[in-house]
Amino acid sequence: MIQISAFLPELWLVCTAMLILVVELFLKPQSSRSIHNVLATLGTLGALFSLLCLSGTCLFSACQAPETPQAFGGFLRSDGLALFFKMVIILGTLLTLLISFRYFKSRSTHYPAEFLAVLLFSAAGASALASAQEIITLYVSLETLTISSYLLASFMKKDKGSNEAGMKYLLLGAFSSALLLFGLSYIYGLTGTTLIAGIAKSLSTQTTSPMLVLALILVIAGLGFKISIAPFHMWTPDVYEGAPTPVTAFLSVVSKTAGFAAFIRIFWVGLSSLSATPIWVGLFAVLAVMSIVLGNLEAIPQKNIKRMMAYSSIAQAGYISTGFLAGGPMGLTAVLFYLFVYLFANLGTFLAIVIVAHKTGSEQIEDYAGMWKRSPLIGVVLLVCLLSLAGVPPFAGFSGKWYLFGAAVHMGYTWLALVGMVFSVISLFYYLQVVRQALISEAKDASPIDMTLLERSVLILCVVITVTLGFWPTPIMNLAQAAANSLF
Amino acid sequence: MFSVIATILAPLAVSYFCFFHDPSQGPNALPVLSTFIIIPILSAFAIMASPEKWTRWISLFMASLELGVAFKVFAMYQVAAGGFQLVEEMPWLNNFGIKYLLGVDGMSTLMVLLVACVYFAGTLISWNISLRKKEYYVLFSLLVGGVAGAYESLDLFFFFLFYEFAVLPMYLLVGIWGSGRKEYAAMKLTLMLLAGSAFMLVGFIAMYFTSNIHTFDIRVLGDLAKTGFSPEFQKIWFPLLFLGFGVIAAVFPFHTWSPDGYGSAPTAASMLHAGVLKSLGGYSIIRVALPSMPVGAKYWLPILVILTLINILYAALVALKQKDFKYVIAYSSVSHCGAILFGICTLQVAGLNGAVIQTLSHGIVAAMTFALVGTVYGKAHTRELAKLGGLGACMPILGGLFVAAAMANVGLPGLSGFVGEFLIFLGSFRSGFSGGFSIFQILFPIAVLGIVLTAVYYLRLVQMVFYGPVTDPHAKDEVHDGTFIEILPIAFLLAVSLAVGLYPKPFVDMSNSAIAPLIDYIGGFK
Repeated sequence: MIQISAFLPELWLVCTAMLILVVELFLKPQSSRSIHNVLATLGTLGALFSLLCLSGTCLFSACQAPETPQAFGGFLRSDGLALFFKMVIILGTLLTLLISFRYFKSRSTHYPAEFLAVLLFSAAGASALASAQEIITLYVSLETLTISSYLLASFMKKDKGSNEAGMKYLLLGAFSSALLLFGLSYIYGLTGTTLIAGIAKSLSTQTTSPMLVLALILVIAGLGFKISIAPFHMWTPDVYEGAPTPVTAFLSVVSKTAGFAAFIRIFWVGLSSLSATPIWVGLFAVLAVMSIVLGNLEAIPQKNIKRMMAYSSIAQAGYISTGFLAGGPMGLTAVLFYLFVYLFANLGTFLAIVIVAHKTGSEQIEDYAGMWKRSPLIGVVLLVCLLSLAGVPPFAGFSGKWYLFGAAVHMGYTWLALVGMVFSVISLFYYLQVVRQALISEAKDASPIDMTLLERSVLILCVVITVTLGFWPTPIMNLAQAAANSLF
Repeated sequence: MFSVIATILAPLAVSYFCFFHDPSQGPNALPVLSTFIIIPILSAFAIMASPEKWTRWISLFMASLELGVAFKVFAMYQVAAGGFQLVEEMPWLNNFGIKYLLGVDGMSTLMVLLVACVYFAGTLISWNISLRKKEYYVLFSLLVGGVAGAYESLDLFFFFLFYEFAVLPMYLLVGIWGSGRKEYAAMKLTLMLLAGSAFMLVGFIAMYFTSNIHTFDIRVLGDLAKTGFSPEFQKIWFPLLFLGFGVIAAVFPFHTWSPDGYGSAPTAASMLHAGVLKSLGGYSIIRVALPSMPVGAKYWLPILVILTLINILYAALVALKQKDFKYVIAYSSVSHCGAILFGICTLQVAGLNGAVIQTLSHGIVAAMTFALVGTVYGKAHTRELAKLGGLGACMPILGGLFVAAAMANVGLPGLSGFVGEFLIFLGSFRSGFSGGFSIFQILFPIAVLGIVLTAVYYLRLVQMVFYGPVTDPHAKDEVHDGTFIEILPIAFLLAVSLAVGLYPKPFVDMSNSAIAPLIDYIGGFK
């Protein structure tokens, strides 16, 4: 039986994207932009609304597995985990849309409709990935997300940087997808099923074979690319710097979130047998440390804020991985909570970056000097969001890291938590460089930076959420916990 | 002048007499400890929302209100009963064992008083600040809110949250309103303090998961029978926690943030940091590390005491060589904090009481000294000792106050410094005595040497700055004595120091009500 509610949010996104493409045919290019923007926003809000209706019946009342809406023979199922991920993904898409409105104000492109449509397709892929219960479905959703992202990254076709970004992303991305598919095929060969639950059942009776170890490595390499964990992070700085800023924002939040959704599904559901778990958890611990160390150290000398955010996002992937590898209801709750917090902190920063770049035309950190005079709100946003990423109280990133490292210590990875904490302090160094420019240095050019009422309120919203969740994480924590418990 | 006095006295009286009554007459409408945290934070929001010309008046009003609350807490705490009183509890995250839990014992009551006194004096000393005034007072108030929370929290999560909450405004205060290499100093200070807290945090989490009862409640963690920490666990984690807290208290070799930070910070920020935030280091060793890991403490303290001794002597020697007025005070503060930690290391009732009283005294006296340096600097426009001289003739009142502050630092009987240092040395003399000779008997005379050095560099300072011929020929006409608003906070702090020095009994009783049961529980060196 197909329950439409299992993929209603994706349906909203896909239909809106197609509607935009059709509407564009009938409109003059000059007048069409605002109509597309409104359509895209309404479509995403529709997706969010349908998701909230679904969550209301399912997530909050912790309904049993058979009651969760499912479709296509159980290949897609909106369980608690999927709902939480979809919430993050759709909220991220919504904020990305807002960022893109400002971005395209100063740049003429002939394809505003295509950009929005591809962005929504990409979001639909990410959203479907969150509820995939079967590895082929999972792979197809992931490719929907990734291939759309290649297009998005290279969207400014007259811009060298954007072209380079798109090309790099495509080549490395295609390679990593191939690795992932190769690994998944081994797993299929070993277990004879593509259903993730079936894989778990089959593996629980097997001892670890070299084939399985190879498969684990291939899958980690393939998926590691999507969450840009070291050593599969090489593409990140170049793509983040070259791609249009809204796309960078999208990749850093939505794409990463989707990657973690896939990781949790495959590893904590499919491959969590007694014999296999220690192997990949150990591998993951190495990767997490590498990301935390490399990401933070390489971020320090950066002059371009987007490039700095790229390295920062590599380090963030490392932090989240510590919670992920600790696993259990506690570790996964921490991962979900942190992703939610990361969403607002990162996208708030990118919105500020786009607004500043629109006025000054620069993405250099030194050009943020004197932001306290030019736009106090942007100064405050940079302070709150960046320090939340660094994990400084009283911002939400602090409580997020408290749970992540708490879960790691709980499972006996005290050394990993220690590395994470020490490098969080080191990360403060480069985050504070931006804050120092924005709040302490004098402005070279003191002309005020203006923004629309919508942007202003979204920035304030990001700040309020980031501060509130630092002091009072309880509501989102409870939600994350309900979502994580749906797996166990 | 009258408007200032009215703005001070009215809220002080209101918060002391009207808001709260004795807990024995039933529960208060307002939770007194939460009010103590909320007042400065409320002040920050009020300043943000109101025009700039009101800024300092709002801040003064709120600081006086805070002072009244602190006096009330001091009056409400029943020394005879002891233990944690005025406890406020609220569930926060049940499944992680995190509670919003406030409470004070004798030791934290003294700290609450200290926070309020320095907040009040700091507000007055910043009266004439002109650069980005509104933001200055907002950050200053937030800083106070953070430390106030840290001293009252009985839950490690909130303790940590409030502590780091205080570090952040400090970064901006030093970075924006500082002098000299301010951005370097701000960054160094922030990174070093947060690096120390990284160890604290991991230690807290390790304590949470290792204990039999998963909790962050400090009261429960201080009961070994309930937590069941093994001696091995204690031996691994005690030194890490000690050093993590020690970074805040500027223990050698992690003291380097302190001179640079204080040298560059604006006056009120150095006052608050040296007086209040730094004291948090020693305070949290007594509050968290000692009761939860007594075996580790007894194992490690005879070794760690060497570090505190280096603190006392090394910082005093470095202070002797400084050319900058403010750096002398900064190193003197490092040296005094070494004495506090030395007192803690003795694990003696007298030594720990001395450490607590010295924390209070150092807070008041360091704040007073920094206030004086800031005021003199504002008038003489230089802090170089070579260019200063003979200022006593131009500013007799400030000069006199500085001599008093110097004497309080040196530990002249009658001023607060004496009580603390006397108890610390008494403690170190007696430590381990019943069981024969211990390392403290050897170290004790060396530590006393620190007092002699303190006298040397303070007298040198007084002589170089205030006595002798006037070096700057224009000084006679251009440099004037302090105004009422500048003298008021310094005189206030001096009065507090005198009160502690002349009649220490209530303060020592207060501290002893917390320390005596603790040492009783740990057992001291045998």
